[in-house]
Amino acid sequence: MPEKLLELRGISKSFGGLQVISELDLHVDEGEIVSVIGPNGAGKTTLFNLVTGLYAPDAGDMLFAGETLLGLEPHQITARGIARTFQTLRLFLNMTVKENVMAAAYSHTRAGILRSVLRTPGMRREAREIERLAEEKLSFFGQRLMGYRWDQPAFSLSYANRRRLEIARATATNARLLLLDEPAAGMNPVETHEIAELIGRLREEGGYTILVIEHDMHVVEGISDRVVALDHGVKIAEGSFDEVATDPRVVEAYLGTKAAATK
Amino acid sequence: MNWNLFVTELVAGISHGSVYALIALGYSMVYGILKLLNFAHGDVYMVGSFIGYGILGVFGGATNLSIPVWALLTLMFLGAMLGGGLLGVMIERFAYRRLRNAPRIAPLITALGVSFFLENAAQLVLGAQYQSYNSFSWKSPIAFDHFSLPAGTVISYAEVIIIVGTIVLVVALTLFVQRTQLGKAMRATSFDREAAAMMGIDVDRVIVATFFIGSALAGAAGVFNGIEYQQVWPYMGFTAGLYAFIAAVVGGIGNLPGAVLGGLTIGLAQSFSIGYISSTFSDAVVFAILIAVMIVRPSGLLGRAAVSKV
Amino acid sequence: MSTDPTDPNAPRVGVDEWVASHEQRRTRRTGVLGVVERELERLPRPAFYLGFGIAAALLPAVSSNGYVIDVGLNTLLYMLLALGLNITVGYAGLLDLGYVAFYGFAAYGYAMLASPKFGLHWDTLAVIPLVVIATALLGLLVALPSRRLIGDYLAIVTLFFGELFATVYQNGEHVSLLGQFGAHDVTGGPNGIPNIDQFNVFGARIGALNYTAYYYVALIFFMVLLFAMYLVDRSRTGRAWKSLREDPLAAELMGMPVNRLKLIAFACGAGIAGLAGTIFAAANTAVFASEFDFTSGLLIIVYAMLILGGAGSLGGVIIGALVVNVSLEVLRSPGHATWVFYVLIAGTLVARMRPWRWLAVVVAGTAGFGFAVHAIVAAAWPRGVHGQAPIGGALGTGLRHWVVLPSNPMTIGNVAFICLVLTVLALTLLHGWVQRLAMIPTLYLAAFVWENRLAVEPSVTRLILVGVILIVLMNARPQGLLGTSRVEIV
Repeated sequence: MPEKLLELRGISKSFGGLQVISELDLHVDEGEIVSVIGPNGAGKTTLFNLVTGLYAPDAGDMLFAGETLLGLEPHQITARGIARTFQTLRLFLNMTVKENVMAAAYSHTRAGILRSVLRTPGMRREAREIERLAEEKLSFFGQRLMGYRWDQPAFSLSYANRRRLEIARATATNARLLLLDEPAAGMNPVETHEIAELIGRLREEGGYTILVIEHDMHVVEGISDRVVALDHGVKIAEGSFDEVATDPRVVEAYLGTKAAATK
Repeated sequence: MNWNLFVTELVAGISHGSVYALIALGYSMVYGILKLLNFAHGDVYMVGSFIGYGILGVFGGATNLSIPVWALLTLMFLGAMLGGGLLGVMIERFAYRRLRNAPRIAPLITALGVSFFLENAAQLVLGAQYQSYNSFSWKSPIAFDHFSLPAGTVISYAEVIIIVGTIVLVVALTLFVQRTQLGKAMRATSFDREAAAMMGIDVDRVIVATFFIGSALAGAAGVFNGIEYQQVWPYMGFTAGLYAFIAAVVGGIGNLPGAVLGGLTIGLAQSFSIGYISSTFSDAVVFAILIAVMIVRPSGLLGRAAVSKV
Repeated sequence: MSTDPTDPNAPRVGVDEWVASHEQRRTRRTGVLGVVERELERLPRPAFYLGFGIAAALLPAVSSNGYVIDVGLNTLLYMLLALGLNITVGYAGLLDLGYVAFYGFAAYGYAMLASPKFGLHWDTLAVIPLVVIATALLGLLVALPSRRLIGDYLAIVTLFFGELFATVYQNGEHVSLLGQFGAHDVTGGPNGIPNIDQFNVFGARIGALNYTAYYYVALIFFMVLLFAMYLVDRSRTGRAWKSLREDPLAAELMGMPVNRLKLIAFACGAGIAGLAGTIFAAANTAVFASEFDFTSGLLIIVYAMLILGGAGSLGGVIIGALVVNVSLEVLRSPGHATWVFYVLIAGTLVARMRPWRWLAVVVAGTAGFGFAVHAIVAAAWPRGVHGQAPIGGALGTGLRHWVVLPSNPMTIGNVAFICLVLTVLALTLLHGWVQRLAMIPTLYLAAFVWENRLAVEPSVTRLILVGVILIVLMNARPQGLLGTSRVEIV
């Protein structure tokens, strides 16, 4: 049995009186691609916010590589090896493409202000290392983010390239687990296909473990080792894509018959 | 315990606090809708105070009050509220409107610029000296005279006017916000501006109304301050605005009952620390309250904790 | 910038060709400013800084005029202040409104440790680091309570801190702790601390009121810090600061400890203000609390410099401080100020007014309008043209026949000032030819207000203009002179 990289045990979260996640158990094995699906408001993004430390869970435990994530600040969680992208893009728009990626190397580099001003040999080595890392991460995306684009501000990128840059930035944190929040949202069919391919390559060539929220069922079908379906914060199905897609509860959640009946 | 001192400071604190509360209401209303700290708001209060002073001059001459005191007070309030309101609307229209979607820091710096402009323009036009409401002799005793409580504590009528006037204005504002169509639109807009716009609320109109009402309250506060403390000068808005700001934060910025509670808290804290500790340290006491509230209850006494959306 | 949506051949927003043509679509300024901007962009930045340093170092050689050196020293102190504020506001995006209090704290700190006040005459090499570190720590202390909160709260806390500093130091002549330990004079109250020591290092000391020496001290500190900031800008910390200004939440989730970075930025800014404060205290030999409160305008002026140059840009710090401080100095004398006023108006008209025939119409119209008004007033109300022109010389004589100068201009000038503000505001609402025609009386009104009120009270006028600069810049060009305008995909 493969090692569990991320494991959630009985996680619950409510805002005011609204239970957004209840008693959720979830795990992602090393090297696995797991998709989380569910209708809007099912608690998918909240799940990401819990894992990355933006919200503290009301109950339950979260383990990453066997160690708990509870009580850690978001940047500490990132330093442990979890990085994410955002459903509504959150790039550093006025910084260049390369700077965006270089900035994400913060947690695994050391040089402080004093060493930067004195330009110590160690700091210079580190600066070269960061630069090399950024170029390597960007080159993963082929011609899309290469060449003249490196030194252009991020706001000049097209929508699809912004999504790619967010992924590149997340990988530059030296994460082991990537949380991708709707990576194909707003993309045309060609770009969507490319993203699906890219997620596969991230695992094969990059060695990342990936937890992804996605609405596009073609993408989910193409990439997932395992699919988890959420509805109203409860896990309603788990398994291969075919199993989950045909599960009556999932069909109900998406078509809304149950919701209509209970309301 | 010195009962007289206590009551005197209590009444002074409440009347001071009422002035802060009225200014803080404007801060809070604008913040609720635009998420903008309107640094120029204190200067609207200053302008209101000067408008009251001007009206006093027109009808008072140097020694002769040509109309009854109640009519004068009414005119002063109407003038200051109308003038303050219009000034607020102009500030919104010309300084802030274009910056609604700019980075957060842009309107803040603009607000500083507006504040600085108003203060110095007032200094150019009105002179840098203190002017005094008292330089007009009042024929009727109501405004500056006082009565004594059985225990011998002296309370001035001006303090009574401030406290009663503030209660009237706050009640009127509450009714307006709770009952009228425009008031409901304001609450909706402060809850979620974009959603309100999509529901057919004319957001521009709501913002203009917010600025008008908030600034009119500040104008009234200016006149209250004038009748009680008498001195007016171009930089008075800065200090009073600062305390009102803190009042708004202490009460929970964006929350109207919070602004009133915060205003009273700051007024009382200031008054009691002047009475019992030393006037030098009253600022420090207010600062300590601000810091304490920010550490213990960052959303303010009556504010709700915000959940950040990702 | 938007591309014409009706043109089917135009590249679609966000698509690759559109992106590739981004450089061409950036708003390029035309005219002199545009040329300067392009040239500055091409120049490597260290060369630009070095050029500035050399030019500044030569100033005392070119002019031995004490006034020029004094203004130069002031400008350098402003540059240091703006450089520090640039870290807090420009990099970390924190609105520090108590910034001047740190400057004042350090000035007083130096004064207390090196003056007869407490009989301490410490060596400057000990005092400067001590005071700078103490100021940075004070900054840390002020920022700590608001570390978890958004910038708005920090703005309030720092603003109030600035005010608190001024009142406490203003009233610090009998400090007693809750009535205990007697009343001690700590700050000298409104009298401040006089007779502050000159800089002295191992017994060598700068002569009293030797502004040239302080000028070089300030210049050396500024250049060292400028290059240090240039290096930091490209370092790991610099990138992190810029990231958190762009999007603090994303920065935190990309592994940057946002709170700690903010505190460091805040403390660094305060520390640099502290350094400037020590130089200020030693060069002026006395400090007063009122120099550091809000009404002194210092805070607003430093902000105006930062904003004018473009927050976040190091070259902008130099240019902003230079432009603002030199303009403020020029405005001190009504003669110079009047020249600047008319040249500026003429320059703005030439730069902005198109087509040219409209420029001719407006200029001729304003001139004619003025002479007509002058003739009518002279005929109807002779006292209306018998006032004093604020300046002499050819310009003054010429203006006397054009601008109405009442013998008692106070009241009517004040009314006209308010009218002018309202008219200018109204102008921004008008369009096309109506706006251009309306400019004619507005310009004349402006000249009238200038001659009768503004030029007469230069100290207030300067501050009014600083306020106006902030408002206009933020509305028209929020990125400042050197910032690049941003093209955004919606």
